[in-house]
Amino acid sequence: MEITHTNITYQKLRSKISPRLALAAGLVALFVAVPLIYIFVRAITAEPEAWTRLFQERIWKLFANTLGLVLAVTAGAMLTGVTMAFLTERTDLPGKKIFRWMLAMPLAIPAYIGGIVHLALLRPRGGVIPKLLEDIFGQPVFTPSPLGFGGAAFILTLFMFPYVYLLSGAAFRTLHASLEEASRVFGRTPLQTLFQVTLPALRPGLTAGALLVALDILAEYGTVALLRYETFSSAIFVQLSGRYDRSAASVLSGILVILAIGILWSELRLQGRARFTQMESNWRPAPLMMLGKWRIPAFLLVLGVVSASLLLPVGVLLVWSVQAFLDPETMAMLFHTGSQGFGTYVWNSLWSSSMAAVIAVMLSLPVGLFAVRYPNRLSKFLSRLSQVGYAIPGVVIALSLVLLVNRFLPFLYATPFIVVIAYVLRHMPQAVRASESALNQLSPSLEEASRVMGRTSLQTLFQVILPLILPGLLAGGSLVFLTSLKELPATLLLRPAGFDTLAVRVWVWAGEGFYFQAAPAALLLVLVSALPLSFLLRREQIFK
Amino acid sequence: MTKLLVQNLVKQFPGTQHSAVNDVSFELSDNEILALVGPSGCGKTTTLRLIAGLERPDSGSIWLNQSLVASEAVFIPPEKRGVGMVFQDHALFPHLTVFDNVAFGLRHKTQAEVRTAVGEMLHMVGLLSHSKRYPHELSGGERQRVALARALAPKPVLVLMDEPFSSLDADLRAGVREHVRGILKSMQATVIFVTHDQEEALYMGDRLAVLQKGKLEQIGSPEEIFHESNTRFVAEFMGDSDFLKGTVKRDGIQTAIGLIPQIVDLPASTSVEVAIRADDIDFHVDGSGNALIIDRFFRGAFNLYRLRLDTGQVIHAINPHTNILPVGTRVHAFVSAEHSLTVFS
Repeated sequence: MEITHTNITYQKLRSKISPRLALAAGLVALFVAVPLIYIFVRAITAEPEAWTRLFQERIWKLFANTLGLVLAVTAGAMLTGVTMAFLTERTDLPGKKIFRWMLAMPLAIPAYIGGIVHLALLRPRGGVIPKLLEDIFGQPVFTPSPLGFGGAAFILTLFMFPYVYLLSGAAFRTLHASLEEASRVFGRTPLQTLFQVTLPALRPGLTAGALLVALDILAEYGTVALLRYETFSSAIFVQLSGRYDRSAASVLSGILVILAIGILWSELRLQGRARFTQMESNWRPAPLMMLGKWRIPAFLLVLGVVSASLLLPVGVLLVWSVQAFLDPETMAMLFHTGSQGFGTYVWNSLWSSSMAAVIAVMLSLPVGLFAVRYPNRLSKFLSRLSQVGYAIPGVVIALSLVLLVNRFLPFLYATPFIVVIAYVLRHMPQAVRASESALNQLSPSLEEASRVMGRTSLQTLFQVILPLILPGLLAGGSLVFLTSLKELPATLLLRPAGFDTLAVRVWVWAGEGFYFQAAPAALLLVLVSALPLSFLLRREQIFK
Repeated sequence: MTKLLVQNLVKQFPGTQHSAVNDVSFELSDNEILALVGPSGCGKTTTLRLIAGLERPDSGSIWLNQSLVASEAVFIPPEKRGVGMVFQDHALFPHLTVFDNVAFGLRHKTQAEVRTAVGEMLHMVGLLSHSKRYPHELSGGERQRVALARALAPKPVLVLMDEPFSSLDADLRAGVREHVRGILKSMQATVIFVTHDQEEALYMGDRLAVLQKGKLEQIGSPEEIFHESNTRFVAEFMGDSDFLKGTVKRDGIQTAIGLIPQIVDLPASTSVEVAIRADDIDFHVDGSGNALIIDRFFRGAFNLYRLRLDTGQVIHAINPHTNILPVGTRVHAFVSAEHSLTVFS
């Protein structure tokens, strides 16, 4: 079936590849690939007992735990994301305009912060809700526990579904109405049309969204550690920080990365087909489905999802923050912990994340230019290689950098720059994708026009290409910034003593039970993330 | 004086079976407009891009103003060739105003000189009042004219135009075409114009070069190309010809609609095909005629009839718009041309 996508890829074959550009792209890909390769080297050369010990005791359970969570959350996010997208794009749901924003916004809340709030509310002993119920009824009332598999799957679904929601929302919106009209003319009911035509047409976008979620769950550390559910990521973290068994950590990392690369490989294969579809000139919106008596239940359903994933976490953080500001002792702690204070954490977060964003965007340029302007096997390979960061969870990047830096670049060890390098490696794919898609939308004839009118290729880069792709680069940069800001495991493992970011502080304080103290930092993190997110959302048609 | 000399140009893209441009040679003199015409994929755009320096030839050579710009050993990059180009999608820089787009090619000049030159150009294309606008604020025809002004502003040795009208609506195209040809002629520009539309080629070109599958089939004046097609392909592509089967006789060519009294230099009884256009054939109603009307298309100024000859072959004939005959009428068709017809063996 033909799926509407106007993917402007110009594949003009050039006779001569610029060797400078190829070299630059190659160096970037190498920089990104070294940590990955090094992990495999360490995993293979680990002493055999590490392998046998792990295989006897843990690996199978970890495997089952990790895959179980990945499958559950991916399925949950798909179901929630598509349902929400359908209700807000294709029906007469009341308040759908504001719901569109609210359903995308949980992306600004790191899952571990959502987890902290839900855990504080629902903890079996001492949680706010169980306590409240006990007070009312005078005896303990059963409430579902957020700990373990069920809780982890529920909470991760709440904060992962917006990926699927955004992809399928845009797809629902840009799908040609004529496709569905054709189905109706050929005798399908609206419901049959939905399942036989609309959803299959959205499949490439949905699959891409699902794979993104799966990769994120593989890499997730904060939430699973918080909810005491053991996956590969949390096991590696424990090996690395607690027991300091680097061989075992390397072996586990090797297996985790192989899992992730499998998923990333399928995602990259789909990537070309899964781009946001573009509006065509003859596009017109599909007619809305009238919900009728289902209007109220549908409204309540969306409200429930929005409450659990956005209103409740933000509301609780607000209340806690106010309580923190009202309590002089907490205030004092917040602004002076030893020689440091809130300002230091904010500054550390901002400069490390912005530096990562700038570096990632600069590095992504040669890769993107090479891949888009000279589409061949080599450039495609280099572009994919530089996106491998998606498949290396933060804990693995941390492990690899610890090992590499210790051996080859000891002067970098325990400096904030190693944290920045970790951010760049991990979030490089977002920059590469942004650069590539911006360049893809640039007609090569603009470049040719500039050359014909007397500019060299370097002058053309600065006078024509860069000014035109700047918005795309900014978008890519803000994505890198956003995700670096929230990064937890690599920061925890790599940071030098005293280098606390907002994310680290929230984690440490919440872990010690100082919720009020953690709340302002968490809230700030959410707000700062919300800014670039709304910038990105405004670029998409559905939020206009 | 020869402005452009192209010799034995060959270009093959990796991973393709055939050469995109296969041994193409031609030359172009001052103030001449050459229309490169052919079906899509015939190599006309590649030829243009080779001349611009946007592609590198496999072999052959290109001389611009008597200096070698491309050969196996030499390759002058596009920015050093001093040609002007109008792109198919116009390729106006979206981040620059109309003025800055036109000024883009004017380098090493003082600000005052640039202002004068751009002003002249915009005045000529009638867009002086739009100089502060951005490309997205212009209509299709206006964008087209800005692209032309931008290409002409540096007074290039040669102007290359790649299907410049293909993005315009049909009703706009005729007017813009006339306007553009007028400007090019008044500037005394030397131009290569690429199109797949034979009518546009006939209109724009002082000479036409017909390309097919990378080969130059024929080059010549519009009249030569139209009336004295060298190859069957040219006759077919340029003028919707029918090909009437015939046999060479001593006093002409015997066909299903009679003897064409045209002496050809071929041995008697050779099988040939005569390229014949609808306006070369006439008919009158005749119950015992040699053809049957199978279709009539009203074209306003005339009627186009489709006739099936008794031999089974289908040919087309034009009749005045007042002469309306029903399908199924038996007629006698004959050759009415008073000029010699092109014969292919």
